[in-house]
Amino acid sequence: MSRGPASLAWRRLRGNHVALAAAAVFILIVAFVLAAPLWSSGVADTGPNATHTVEKVEVDGKQREVVSPNGTPIGPLWFGAGGKFFLGADGRLGRDEMVRLMYGGRTSLLIGILAGLLATVLATVAALLAGFYRGWVDAVISRCLDLAWSFPVLLLGIALGAALAVGGLQVGPIEISSGSILLPILIIGTVFTPYVARPLRGEVLALREREFVEAATAQGAGPLRLMLSELLPNLWSTIIVFFTLVVANSMLLEASLSFVGVGVQPPNSSWGAMISSGFKLLYTTPLLTVLPGLMILLTVLSLNIFGDALRDALDPRSRVRLEVEAHTGRYEPGSEVA
Amino acid sequence: MKKLGVVLAAIVLTAGATLGLAACGSSSSGKEGGTLTVSYASFPDLDPQLSYSAEGWSAIYNTYLPLLTYAHAEGAEGSAVVPGLAEDLPTVSKDEKVYTLTLRKGLKYSDGTPVKASDFGSTVERLFEVESGGSPFYADIVGAEDFLEGKADGISGIKTDDKTGKIEITLTGPSGTFVNELAMPFVALVPPSTPGKPLTTKPAPATGPYELVEVKPGRSWSYARNPQWEKANARAMPDLPGGHVDRIDVTVVSNQSTQVNEIEQGKTNWMFDPLPSDRVAQVQQRYEGSQYKPEASISTYFFWMNMTQPPFDDVKVRQAVNYAIDPAALERIYAGEINATQQILPPGMPGYEKFELYPHDLEKAKALVKEANPSDREITVWTDSLDPNDVAGEYYESVLDQIGFDAKLKVVNADNYFTLIGNAATPDLDTGWANWFEDYPHPNDFFEPLLSGESIAPTNNTNLSRIDDPKLSAKIAELGAEQLSPEVEDGYAELDKAYMEQAPWAPYGNRRLSLFVSSDIDMESVIWNPTFSGDLTSFRFK
Repeated sequence: MSRGPASLAWRRLRGNHVALAAAAVFILIVAFVLAAPLWSSGVADTGPNATHTVEKVEVDGKQREVVSPNGTPIGPLWFGAGGKFFLGADGRLGRDEMVRLMYGGRTSLLIGILAGLLATVLATVAALLAGFYRGWVDAVISRCLDLAWSFPVLLLGIALGAALAVGGLQVGPIEISSGSILLPILIIGTVFTPYVARPLRGEVLALREREFVEAATAQGAGPLRLMLSELLPNLWSTIIVFFTLVVANSMLLEASLSFVGVGVQPPNSSWGAMISSGFKLLYTTPLLTVLPGLMILLTVLSLNIFGDALRDALDPRSRVRLEVEAHTGRYEPGSEVA
Repeated sequence: MKKLGVVLAAIVLTAGATLGLAACGSSSSGKEGGTLTVSYASFPDLDPQLSYSAEGWSAIYNTYLPLLTYAHAEGAEGSAVVPGLAEDLPTVSKDEKVYTLTLRKGLKYSDGTPVKASDFGSTVERLFEVESGGSPFYADIVGAEDFLEGKADGISGIKTDDKTGKIEITLTGPSGTFVNELAMPFVALVPPSTPGKPLTTKPAPATGPYELVEVKPGRSWSYARNPQWEKANARAMPDLPGGHVDRIDVTVVSNQSTQVNEIEQGKTNWMFDPLPSDRVAQVQQRYEGSQYKPEASISTYFFWMNMTQPPFDDVKVRQAVNYAIDPAALERIYAGEINATQQILPPGMPGYEKFELYPHDLEKAKALVKEANPSDREITVWTDSLDPNDVAGEYYESVLDQIGFDAKLKVVNADNYFTLIGNAATPDLDTGWANWFEDYPHPNDFFEPLLSGESIAPTNNTNLSRIDDPKLSAKIAELGAEQLSPEVEDGYAELDKAYMEQAPWAPYGNRRLSLFVSSDIDMESVIWNPTFSGDLTSFRFK
């Protein structure tokens, strides 16, 4: 009895120990950020945006200022104050760094996943339409994708972020305020769409010529059924692989946008925004920049390693690799402009 | 008139003493010549009629000279108005409306064009043509409004004679500040052929000891010695300093920590901007007395509240905000580089009398908000992106949340911030951060542009609270027409308190600035002028 493709993929993935370790790291990071409310209310006894500038904290029986009169925040106290200011204060506002790191991770991951989802959905729709109908539909969609592709990702993201930073976005009944995290999700999802859509379109063009599509057409299947029932199921492995890569790159772009001030707006935290605010205190408190940077590094690395392994497991012939390399020279769309 | 005569005499005496002191100071040893390298965190407007920032005024102080200028000295002495391109301070008519000055003879622009008395008229006209933010200062010249509205080709209140160099300026009414206004860079003379459009990229020829050369917008600019200075202008204006270095190269370095590093490495000789807050302690410890010294500024940092709409149309809410702000927290946010205050006038400004109407009391603030029960609790808080103003904005947002509002912060790039919040069309202008450094050493500068009903404008608005109290505005106008005297200073002190009872602002600090130079600069020779900051003519190498 022969094994199914999913079973074969799982078998291949299970044999890749590095990939499994990467997946474990990612799961740990997700668990860490999901535990934010528990740590915040149960241990630190403060919220992510609560300021403690002129407050004192008791450490080993002694009162210490959270922020010194010259503006230097308290360093890591570990469990010296019962878990309060475990990683110290985040800057001159005296917010708990550990709490902000956990909540910031939730924001970064949420933006990464939702932006990745948005880019993948938009790209799949565009690729199916362009690859199935070909002709003028393909020409219009492809030129639009080329146009978006011609802008460096970071530059396009910053331009969109800056343009929408003050007034937010208002298109008909849809209104997104400038401080909403929906805005970076929309921006990041949009700028990554062409990087997923172009390779997918190539796959659809190839699949369109296959016998099973011809057979379905002969049975009277309409365009919608052909796209959804015949083509889409054959794209899943590519879509899943791209999704993991785009999530990682969306997190990196979010960090970049927040660093230059057009991503997550203060006082809300994200790892990128935390690097930006910590950078101002780089000389006196480098930990404030290093910690969120390390979290981004671990998350992106684990997702990239797992994404690569998933691609190899789902598609041993690595057609995706060839397709992406042909267009960008790299696997990571976001890193092209780095 | 008697009062005016006394004041002018005092100004001349102060100026004389200042110049004497400056001359004494310049006798210390130090090299002449060389290239001074300077860094700025942002690129200022270098057009004298348009420049309206501390950065811009520092950059053009020694390039574009008005008829009057400020003494090249520190502290109160540096606030004295002294003759610039004019031979002397103005004589004023009995009705205090007509100011007469005489242009010094033999002056030339850096391109060799002779400076004429009529250039003053064309310069003021250009000020209005380019819609300068400084034009309101000169709107009380007779005929200025007709010129602005296109009803006249020139400003009838300015009469000049190129042969004698006489310049006669007629005002619509007495003014206690016009002498100061004549010393502002807005009316620094430029040739009549200067086009009525922004000229930062192609600078107009200079009258001062240095001329602008090689301007690269957003990146850098340089000064070279004005070729006409030694030949003509220095002879005509022997009382003004000619500068020690031959060339000044200014680079825009947006990261203030990098500015500090470059000074430590000797790549840059002086940074215009204040030290970044996380470097203050380190720089103080290592370089105080040799390369670093703190400098005062006459400034007020505050949060403004838009009084034309809820919730800040209710005085109880505005007072609640004042009670809720903790100056001690803001002192830490500014790394100890501000002195806490709760009033409009800063120390060092005539009329300043310390008071504290709203000692920090969060519970009282909450109770006031509860009592006011505002209909709108969703507030947008504006601040700029420069550190630590952005952190002050975050702090303010958290305070508003604590007293019962739902505040959202908008951080705007510092280059566009004041343009944006000064535009009435910008949505959600509820409250936000701002600061004000003196334009001239007269308390009117902290009231008329910032708090008078007449100064509310659809664009480039400086009355950010949009306060329009007819009684207080009338008091501003009344005091503004008077020359400074102990009684007038008392009037300004009362006005300060009267405004703070209305609480259009929540003032929180007066900024301390700093001078930080490289080890090869003779720090003792550097003059820190209260209006123009570091005086480029005073820098020299050891």
